Order: sequence, then structure tokens, then C-alpha cells
Amino acid sequence: MVQFLVKRIFQTLVALWGVITLVFIILHFAGDPTLLMLPESATAEDVARLRSQLGFDRPLIVQYLSYMGQLLRFDLGTSYIQNLPVSEIIASRIPYTLTLAFAALLVAIGIGVPVGIIVGLNHGKMIEKILMPIVLIGQSMPTFWSGILLIMLFSIRWGVLPSSGADGAGAVILPAVSLGALSMATFARILRTSIIEEMDKPYVRAARAKGISFGKVFFRHVFRNSSIPLITIAAIELATLLAGAVIVETVFAWPGLGQLAVQAINSRDFSVVQAVVLLGSFVYIILNLIADLLYSIVDPRIKIQEKTS
Amino acid sequence: MNFKRLLKVLLPLIALLILAGCQKKSVESTTAPVEVTKDVLVIDLVSEPTTLDPHLQWNPSSFYVYRNIFDNLLSRNTDGDIIPKVAESWDYVSETVVDLKIRDDIKFQDGTPLTVGDVVYSVHRILDPELKSPQAGQFNAISNVEAIDDSTVRLTTAKPYPVLLAQLVKLSIVPEAYVEKVGYEEFNKNPVGSGPYKFVSWEKGIKVVVEANENYWGGTPPFKTVEFLAVPEKSTRLANLKTGKSDLITSLDEDLATEVENDSKIKVLSVPTERIAYFRINTLYGPTADIKVRQAIAYGIDKKMIVEGLKGGYSKVANVMVGQTSFGYDPSFEGYPFDPEKAKALVLESGIGSTEIELLTAPSVFDQRVVAAIQQMLSDIGLKVKIVGMDMSTFLQHMQSDDSKDMTSFGRWSGGVQDADGIMYAMLHSGSQWANIKSEKLDNALDGARTSLDSDVRMEFYSEAHQVVQDEIPVIPLYEVGSIYGAAKELQWKPMADESLFIMDMKWGNS
Amino acid sequence: MKKASKNILPYLFAFIILFFLIAAIFAPLIAPFDPVKQDLMHRLKAPGTVTDAGVHILGTDELGRDLLSRIIYGTRISLLVAFLSVIVSTVTGTWLGMLAGYYKGWVAVLIMRIVDIVLSIPPILLAILTVAVVGPGLGNLVFVLGFTRWPRYARVAYAQTLTVADKPYVQAAQFTSVSTPLIFRRHIIPNIAAPLIVVMTLEFGLMILFEASLSFLGLGVQPPTPSWGAILSTGRNYLSIAWWITSFPGFCLFFLVLSVNMIGDFLRDYLDPHSIRR
Repeated sequence: MVQFLVKRIFQTLVALWGVITLVFIILHFAGDPTLLMLPESATAEDVARLRSQLGFDRPLIVQYLSYMGQLLRFDLGTSYIQNLPVSEIIASRIPYTLTLAFAALLVAIGIGVPVGIIVGLNHGKMIEKILMPIVLIGQSMPTFWSGILLIMLFSIRWGVLPSSGADGAGAVILPAVSLGALSMATFARILRTSIIEEMDKPYVRAARAKGISFGKVFFRHVFRNSSIPLITIAAIELATLLAGAVIVETVFAWPGLGQLAVQAINSRDFSVVQAVVLLGSFVYIILNLIADLLYSIVDPRIKIQEKTS
Repeated sequence: MNFKRLLKVLLPLIALLILAGCQKKSVESTTAPVEVTKDVLVIDLVSEPTTLDPHLQWNPSSFYVYRNIFDNLLSRNTDGDIIPKVAESWDYVSETVVDLKIRDDIKFQDGTPLTVGDVVYSVHRILDPELKSPQAGQFNAISNVEAIDDSTVRLTTAKPYPVLLAQLVKLSIVPEAYVEKVGYEEFNKNPVGSGPYKFVSWEKGIKVVVEANENYWGGTPPFKTVEFLAVPEKSTRLANLKTGKSDLITSLDEDLATEVENDSKIKVLSVPTERIAYFRINTLYGPTADIKVRQAIAYGIDKKMIVEGLKGGYSKVANVMVGQTSFGYDPSFEGYPFDPEKAKALVLESGIGSTEIELLTAPSVFDQRVVAAIQQMLSDIGLKVKIVGMDMSTFLQHMQSDDSKDMTSFGRWSGGVQDADGIMYAMLHSGSQWANIKSEKLDNALDGARTSLDSDVRMEFYSEAHQVVQDEIPVIPLYEVGSIYGAAKELQWKPMADESLFIMDMKWGNS
Repeated sequence: MKKASKNILPYLFAFIILFFLIAAIFAPLIAPFDPVKQDLMHRLKAPGTVTDAGVHILGTDELGRDLLSRIIYGTRISLLVAFLSVIVSTVTGTWLGMLAGYYKGWVAVLIMRIVDIVLSIPPILLAILTVAVVGPGLGNLVFVLGFTRWPRYARVAYAQTLTVADKPYVQAAQFTSVSTPLIFRRHIIPNIAAPLIVVMTLEFGLMILFEASLSFLGLGVQPPTPSWGAILSTGRNYLSIAWWITSFPGFCLFFLVLSVNMIGDFLRDYLDPHSIRR
């Protein structure tokens, strides 16, 4: 286990280095921020001057090495655009991103998992045919559409929830619903499929024949065995949510990492983009590590140690 | 076994979650009851300021906010005339030397008086390479700045520079002592100016809060507190206005404006700005190097239809590359009439056939309905036009003259000085990075207008320049972009053509 | 009765998909108007409005174009992009995920860390780079969508393969020198297909929406060529004054997503090795 974790941490560092390097290359091929920062009336000399002041006229390899050197000293750098330390900019967004991500996950799992269990156990029955389309409405509603629709109903017409912003607990409800609706169908359908498969297995029938209560069989075995794909998907979904939900954050003016990332990409604020991506990949890798560990907990037959053998 | 280790991984996550829960602020009352005096004014901007250090960036979301914290050297009234602000008067000693008399009754918000030294310092600072200011290019015509006595600052330019005063309208005065004491980074975080509003707080990504400076030299500010929110989606800004969460919203579009007009609690405020929407045609490369193709395009675009059909009358048809409120505007130019038959004939004559013309634009910034409408108009006259969208940064790179990728493009341009120099020199002078035309006649006219202080002479040069533009068609001016705001019925305010947003000009009440 | 409904429903959903396919293929014959023809004097007209040109059954959009015709033509791009990008990412992701789960060891390490890297790169960044370096184009759009989405399939395939690879019948097959491709085909793919089909069908709808956001960055089809995603995303600005612009393509998207998902479920039941054995 310890050996596994050590190896995994080493791999993680290599992966992070890969991400940083790749993003660095992409960003620098997509052009630097000088043209965007200057007024329209700027002359070619103005552009050249600012470019050299910001250090973008240096050879790419020099810029890369100096950035890597900075990172090794745990310095995320300074935003060219905002003239603030990147760590400060990022830190202010993290609480909001966490709040929205977990609220949305709560909506998605809170509805998706029970629905998945119900339809999985009632495969082929009427209730499945009613519930699945309802869940799928969420899946086929683009968030920019459902978001504005929710604002029109709950804020403008009924005036019960704030139309945007992040003031107070009420403000997270609409964005969380809009975002959670998108992934609840994923949870419901993945779980449904696994449960149907699992229920078909001989051991379930054998156990039922032996007279073991259904609830016991279900929660001890069926649900447990069905949860591997669920864990995989939950890890990916949560990682995606934590990297920021660009559209929902934009519609509801929610100050999360997604909006920040897109603004930084659009304004070519290199160090902020790098930091957001770095944070995102770190979270993602950690979540997948947890998912891998969970596999072996719910299904002890999967031995994580083996993977590195 | 594994659970313990797992717990170690999960615990920090849970802790973070709890932290996130604590982070939430208590609910503030955002829907204040309607009353005669208003304590908190809420303004929705498209994005948050990039910085509040007034010398560090150049974009509306920033100067909307900081122009209320700082005073600029000069200002403009709603008619577009240059008026005194920190400088109470100015005097041209010679063609290249201006003396500005600085008011002696201005105090910064930290209590120190604003002196000529602060003015000199502000000019030096914006030009300081250490600061890396994107605005430096607007002031580097100034070759020397000095205080000649306790109340006079003397500015010297290397050559006569007619838009000097117009540039000074954008120069914010910062307190030397404070900036030098706390350093640039701290000043950026906690700006102190001499303006009517004091900086209070900035919740990143949410809002900037400022409060009234009771000792303001120019009078009592109309609201105790003003909040600037960052709301990127226009439908959401409108929802904020409708629900009373916000009192003033920026950057509405024409169709949403009609919705505002249907609501009795809110109203539309608008003004044509100095920003000109244009259709640029490359005269140097590709199929549009043929003047006949350019003429065909000029006859084929129905500007009136665009302005009336799409822009709902909030924008005005433009026939020269400068707005009516700016210097250099010449009403005698009428542009090309909409004449599809003539355009079709020209297309046939040019023999362009089915060669594809690319139309570059940045969909996230410019009105794509206009782009689609122009594309339709041009295909109606027999041209094959392909729309190529890209993000703003890539768009600007393609616009640079040494890049032949820019055949035609649609965008908007503001010179920021309410003077033809701001747009025309940068866009059309062959020495500029953006130029898509090389014309000696045009260069001479633009140079001439740039180096003379005599407005009659300058006007003549600009009329010459407009004539070259009309003949050579490197660009077709389409319309003067209207700035559309939505506001609560009680808010009295007249928007400005230079896209400034001075809270001092606002009033709350029914008259 | 239960049996009957089980038999009819798949046909109903297959019919809906077929319906959209026909609309896409025969768009020029079905659409009442030219989908890009504008009429600026008749913008944002409600469904049923009659103009000189004829009846706009579903109304007109922000440029006075006939909404019904745009939706019919839009089916082409939307179906094509969704179909191609799902195929690209499924094939890539499933194979890599299976290989990682089957061989484990350094193969798994390599593949799964690549998955981590790719999932960490924001799609927008990749889109901007693609436009800047190789330019727009439908092929490039499919590449960006496929490239950013395959890791999801890889993760699921990997996790499923891990549970399957240790099963006695797979190990038995390995010992009896059954060729590896055959093991994959006979034992692994059928056993991991179910959750992958679910992921595929879920992604299908998302791809239609992603196409719109990427076309804003200049990738893929450019205006005025219609696609459902583009109609939906520009129409959202008019939600309060012209509900029809987003509602009708929204309904189409819902029925398509529903049908694809339902067919996916039936497909799963059909492919399920256990139900065949029964």
C-alpha cells in the first residue's frame, strides 16, 4: 500500500509536469496578451515595448525554464493582467468553486442515485418508463438555457431566489440545480445498468432462494458491486465540477474557477491559466487515486498493488 | 486497514467543504425599498475591473470604477467639450509647451493635499518602464514634464501634438507619497485617490465596493455606497435590474432594450459613442486588392437596414471613420449609396468569380447579427463570403498588417480621444501596425493633422483623408456604436460618448 | 401486456432517430425556406406568422430567418458532429482503457497518466490552439471533441476491465492459449460494454451542445450554417421576448437524446451476455 502510494505520487508529479509543459506550449502558440492589453491606438513600438517589458520577447526555452524554476520554488507567479500574485487570485475563488461543486453533486446524486436504484430494480416496469424520460430532460437541457429559465421563473416571476451573485445560501440553489440536472441522468443510468446486470447474477437468485432478505442482499452485494462504474463516473464528474462550471458560473455570475479560467485564457493571462489548470489536474489526479482505492474497498478482488507489479 | 488511510485523504477534503460553508457571507439587503434618498447604488458591469491602479490597464470595466476613485487631470462634459478638473485652466505657451494651473483645494482621501508634484509624478509613473503600463503609448508624446511653480505644471512635447489635451482627459492623478510609501502592489490592492468615492473592498469575481468621500472638493457624492458587480451574461444583468438587485446595468443589446422599455419600473439610457463599427477591406492582398471588388462591397452594404433593422435606432449610420461628437467629423461625406444593381455589375466586371472572401470577426466581442447580415448582403450581390470567427486575441493578431490573413473584417474601434487621430492614424497610416493600405496622400494628410494645432488646418487635412478613404475604400464606416444602459426609473443620468461613468453626474429622484 | 410494450418502444425510439436522419438527409426537400435567407424587417416573429414569403410555422429568429428550416438543416451538422466525435472518443478511449486494465503494470501507468493529463487540459484552450495553428473545419472540431472526451471512456473501460480480467473464465482462456484479440472480443468487450454504451449515449447529447460553444471560438461550422447548438445558444438571449427560438430546437434535442439513450439501454439488454444465456 505504502509502496503503491509512493509510486503513485511519483507518477502524479510526472503527470503534472506533463500538463504544465503541454499547457505552456499551447499557450505560447496561441499568442501573448500584449495586443489585448494595449489601447486600439497603440503603435508597433508600443507593442514591442510592452512585449519586452513583460518578457515575451525572450526565447521560448528561457521563458519555460524561468517558469519551471519559479514553480519549483512554489511560486505560481504574478498575473500580467491583474498585477497580483496568482496564488491570491486563485485562493479567492476556491471556496466558491467547492460550494457549487458539492451542491451540484448533492443534487445530481441525491436525485440520480435513488432514481437509478428504483428503475434498476423495476426494470421493464411502467415506473422506469416514466422516471427515465424525466431524468433525461435534465440531460438534454443545455445549462445556459435552463439557467436563464430558472432565473426567469424563480427570480423575476416569483422573486424567491436571487438572480445572480454569491451572497447568502440562497444564491447557490439555482446554479446547483442547473448544473446538477445535467449529471443526474448520468448517475441514474449508470447505476440502473449495473444493478440490472448484478441482479441477473446467480448469487442473487441463490441468496433469495435461501430466504435472505432482499434488503440485505441488495445493500450488501448488489449495490456494492454496482458501484464501481458509479465511483468512476462520480470521480470524473466531481473533477469536472471542481475545475469549474464555465457556463453556469457565467450565467449566474458565480465567482468560481471556471469563469476565471476562461477569462484568463481569453486575456492570455498565462500564469493564471497555468495555475488553474495545475490545480484542476491535481484535484483530478487525487480524486482518481481515491477512486482507485475505493475500487479495492468495494470489490476486494481488485488488488491495487497488482497494478504496479 | 485501508479505511484509516482513506480517511486521511478524505479529511482535508471535508475540512475544505466546511470552510467553504463558513465562507458564505450573511445575506445583505440588496433590494432596498424605493425611497427618495438612496444609500446603496448597485451597478452591473460585464466583468470586474482588471486592476484599480489607474495606470495599469486599458478597458472599460476598470475605468468605469477607478474614474470614481481618482480625479483625472482634465475631463469632458456630456457635449464632449474638454473641461477643467484637477487642472483648472491651461495655456499654450508655444506650439509644443502647455502650462496647466493645478487646483489648490484638492485633498487625497488620506488627507494629504494634491500638489503639482503629484501631477508630475503621475506622468513620470505612467511612462516608467518598470510599471509596464499599457497606457504608456498614450502619453509618450510628452517629452518633458516639470513644475514651474507651486501651482503650475509645464508639459513639453517634441512636436506639436494636437490631441495632448484629449489624452490628459485620461490621466488619473495618483498620490506620490502614498504610492511610494506602500509600493505598487499594495497601491493596486488599496488604491487611494482624490475622487468622490473611496475604495472599500473588492471581493474577487463578485464586486467592488466604494463609499462616498465626504470631503470631496467637487461637492457631496449622491450615494453613500456604490457597488460594482461583475455579471457577464446580459440576460442575467437584465434580470438583476428587473428584480431590483441592481440599479444600473451596462452593455445591453437592442433587443433586450425593447424589453426594458416594456417594463414601467426601468428605463433605457443610451448615447452614440465615439466607437465606430467598421468593415475593413484589405487593399494590399488577395481578391480585395482589386478596387472594383471593394467598390462592389461598398455599394452592396445597406447600412441603413443594419442600423434600423438590427440596431433599433440606438446606433447612427456613419459615413466617415470618426463620430459626430469627435473632432474631424465631416458631415459633407455621404458614403456610398446602397445600390445592389451597381454592386452586381462591379462584381461581374472584376472577374472575381467564385473566389472566396474571408470575413474575420471575434464572435464573443462583436455583434454577430451584423456580421451575418453583411454576409447575406454580399452574397446577394454575387460575392462568396466565408465568416471566420476566432477569439479576440487571435483576431487582433490576424489584423496586424504583416499578416495577410485579414481579407475583410468586422469590428468596432475607439480612439479614446474623441478625435479623428485616435482611429484614423492607427488604422490607416502606413506606419501603423494595423494599416491595410499604403497611400502617400493619406499618410501626408494624417501626418499633417497630427502635427498642427490649428483646428481649421487639421479639419482640412481630415477632409482630405476622408476623401482618400472614400475613394480607396480600405474601410467602410458602418455606424456609430450606441452604448445602451438599463436603469431604474429613479436614476437620473446622462451617459457619455467616451464611455465614462461618473457617479457624481447621477441623481436619484423623479425629476 | 408488459411484453408488448417492451417490443413496441424500441421501434418508437428507433423511428424518432430515423425521423431526424431523414430530416437531415432530405433537408433541402423538406425545409419550407432557405435556412440562411434573412428578412430583417420580420425578425423575432412568433410561430405561425405570415409574411410575403409564406407561413413561418415555428416563427423567425433574430435575423428573420425561418426557424423550422434552420432546425431541419441544423440536424445535419448536429447529428454528424455528435456521431463522429462519439465514435472517435469511444474507439480511442475503450481500447486504451481495456489495454490498461488487461495488461496492468507500466502499460496501465502510462495510459492512465496520459488520461490524467488530457483530462486536465481545458477544451477551450485546445480549441483556440487548433484554430490558431490549423484553422477551423469540421474535421478539426471532431478531433478536438474526440481528443478531449476519450479519457472518460478510458476510465470506465479501465475500471470495468479490472473487474473482468481476474474472472476465472478470462484466466482460463489465458492458460489455454486463446489468442489475446479473441479474449478481448469474446470475454472482455461483452462484459464491459454496458456502462460504456451508457456513457456513449449520454455523451451524444453533450456533443451537440459542445459543438455550439466551440463554433463560437471559430472551430467547426461557421454562421450562417445552422446547427441546433448554435440556434440554442444564440437564442438564449431572446428567451424572454422570443421563447420559440430556444424551445423548438430544445424539444428536438430532448427527443433525440431520449431516443438515443433508450436505444442504448435496449442495445445493452441485447448485448448483455447474461440475458442471452438465459
